[in-house]
Amino acid sequence: MIKLIAAFLTFYSASVFAVLEVTVLKKAEDAFPIVISPFLVKGDAKQGETIAHIMRDNFNRSGEFNASSADYIVTSQVDFDKWQAQKIEAIVIGKLEKVSKKIFNVEIELLDVYSRKTLYAKKFAVHNSGIRRITHYLSDQIYFALLGEKGSFDTRLAYVTVANKGRGKREYKLEISDSDAQNPQTILRAASPILSPAWSPDQNKIAYVSFKNGRSEVFIQYPFVRRKTQKLPYFDGIASAPAWHPNGESIVLTLSKDGNKDIYSYHLKDKKLTRLTSDVSIDTEASYSADGERIAFTSNRSGQVQVYIKHLKTGKINRATFVGSYNAKAVFSPDGKSLALVHRVDKDYRIALLDIATKDLMVMTQNKLDESPFFSPNGSMIIFATNKDDSGVLSVVSILGHQTFELVSKAGEVREPNWSHYSK
Amino acid sequence: MLKIASLVTATVLLSSCSSTVEELYQKVAPRPAVVTSQEDVSATQESIIAADSSSFQSQEFAGNHARSAAQNSAARMAVAQLKNSGAKFVLHFSYDGSEIDEAATQEVIKHANFMRDNPALNLRLEGHADERGTREYNLALGENRALAVKEILGLYDLSSRVNVISFGEENPTAQLHNESAWQQNRRVEFIYQ
Repeated sequence: MIKLIAAFLTFYSASVFAVLEVTVLKKAEDAFPIVISPFLVKGDAKQGETIAHIMRDNFNRSGEFNASSADYIVTSQVDFDKWQAQKIEAIVIGKLEKVSKKIFNVEIELLDVYSRKTLYAKKFAVHNSGIRRITHYLSDQIYFALLGEKGSFDTRLAYVTVANKGRGKREYKLEISDSDAQNPQTILRAASPILSPAWSPDQNKIAYVSFKNGRSEVFIQYPFVRRKTQKLPYFDGIASAPAWHPNGESIVLTLSKDGNKDIYSYHLKDKKLTRLTSDVSIDTEASYSADGERIAFTSNRSGQVQVYIKHLKTGKINRATFVGSYNAKAVFSPDGKSLALVHRVDKDYRIALLDIATKDLMVMTQNKLDESPFFSPNGSMIIFATNKDDSGVLSVVSILGHQTFELVSKAGEVREPNWSHYSK
Repeated sequence: MLKIASLVTATVLLSSCSSTVEELYQKVAPRPAVVTSQEDVSATQESIIAADSSSFQSQEFAGNHARSAAQNSAARMAVAQLKNSGAKFVLHFSYDGSEIDEAATQEVIKHANFMRDNPALNLRLEGHADERGTREYNLALGENRALAVKEILGLYDLSSRVNVISFGEENPTAQLHNESAWQQNRRVEFIYQ
């Protein structure tokens, strides 16, 4: 117990970096109305409002909920008739009690306004520094209790920021943050571009492309342990576009060691390189399906830039996209049924969702230059990079309802988003 | 601590909620902290920035330390002469294209002749793309453009002296987001070393 608390203490020791500003641009219709009451606070515990606030923001960003506060603290004597009249369907109430300088008792209860039953309840002690993490965890629990599906709150983002340093110089930073863009931490700074960060399935490593040696190379960094950053073996030409196998043991990447840009898989322990495509055209931007049985990749083998799927067991390659003259950088949805990709509409590049079986393509965004789509781990949202007022920002669109929220850095551009898997 | 644990027994309604304080701690284990201390970060930062600032300055002539100063300046003058003769050091490409038309081929031949006359010089071809389309595809496209130039130089047996690098869309010369900026950014740069 004491050891765990000590671990919590070190958690927030890193200094505060520039936080991305999160703004909901478009609200989803038919969102589930939920009230998250201010917490009843005993003793000096301002964090009570923090928990309720983080939770409301979580639910509002998800695109599936319309979360509001109550103008008074709702306690266990809930006036269900009143909430029913206001068309509220569920209510979260909570209590926070300070038991020592750093330790708090938290009580939380989720109530169904119509059945008047408790759908979820929990009581626990938490260290001050663990409040944010545990709030995301509880948000996932409540999301599951109401929708029967996992939430994506207790997860993390990785992204690249770019700041102009004057005289043509730029500073690139590889950053990680919580799923709500809070608690950002810089894990790499460089004067040359950083591309394609990718969380390992176990969330302990991040693969990325760096130009620090004057050309594109793939690196694996261990942000949480004292272990040297690993460079994948050098081959002639470019090395880029890394993506993890779901088992975490190998990485697919693009190499051009014989001039041909093809897709290879590199086994990290065996140090074995396997060629997955062999074509005179450009093959790049590979990503695995969650079962590891397929890769989607970009190729211009037809003369146009289109997305293909290779079935790794049979070796068969099928073209996946047929609508439009440019489809690229596809990623599989967690259920493996669809792809999120970059789709050209006239002169604009937008994020689209492709149903692999029916080949139906749905354009999800309306910007000029969208890129780098990536699914939230529960598949309910797609994060991507776009341009706003000539600067790069991140945007997140929900699959249902097309709610959009935006993540903007005051310090410069933000791009190349990647969403972690679930925490263990 | 025991007092906190005992609170758990009260008012818990669902069976799934009966876990103890300890169990919940385990479920929501603390997030690992980024290990790099502040000092380490700044040191890494400095070394990285120092290491790659050179590679990110477009240079028409990058001096080789192994070469003597006299050779250096002779080489520098030869490159300047080629430039004054009107030979192009940047070739431009069509959207998503890496084909080299006849006019551009003539320019590459000027460089081929120059390299034969100056056997001490090596050439770095930097391929670039405009910002449209995906970054990783553009990285591949930039390399194809530089390789297309290298292919012509290969006809003159110069391949071994040509080094190809792609920066994709990461190093634009024109910063605007319009047709003319894109046109300028789709390019291969010739850099003698």
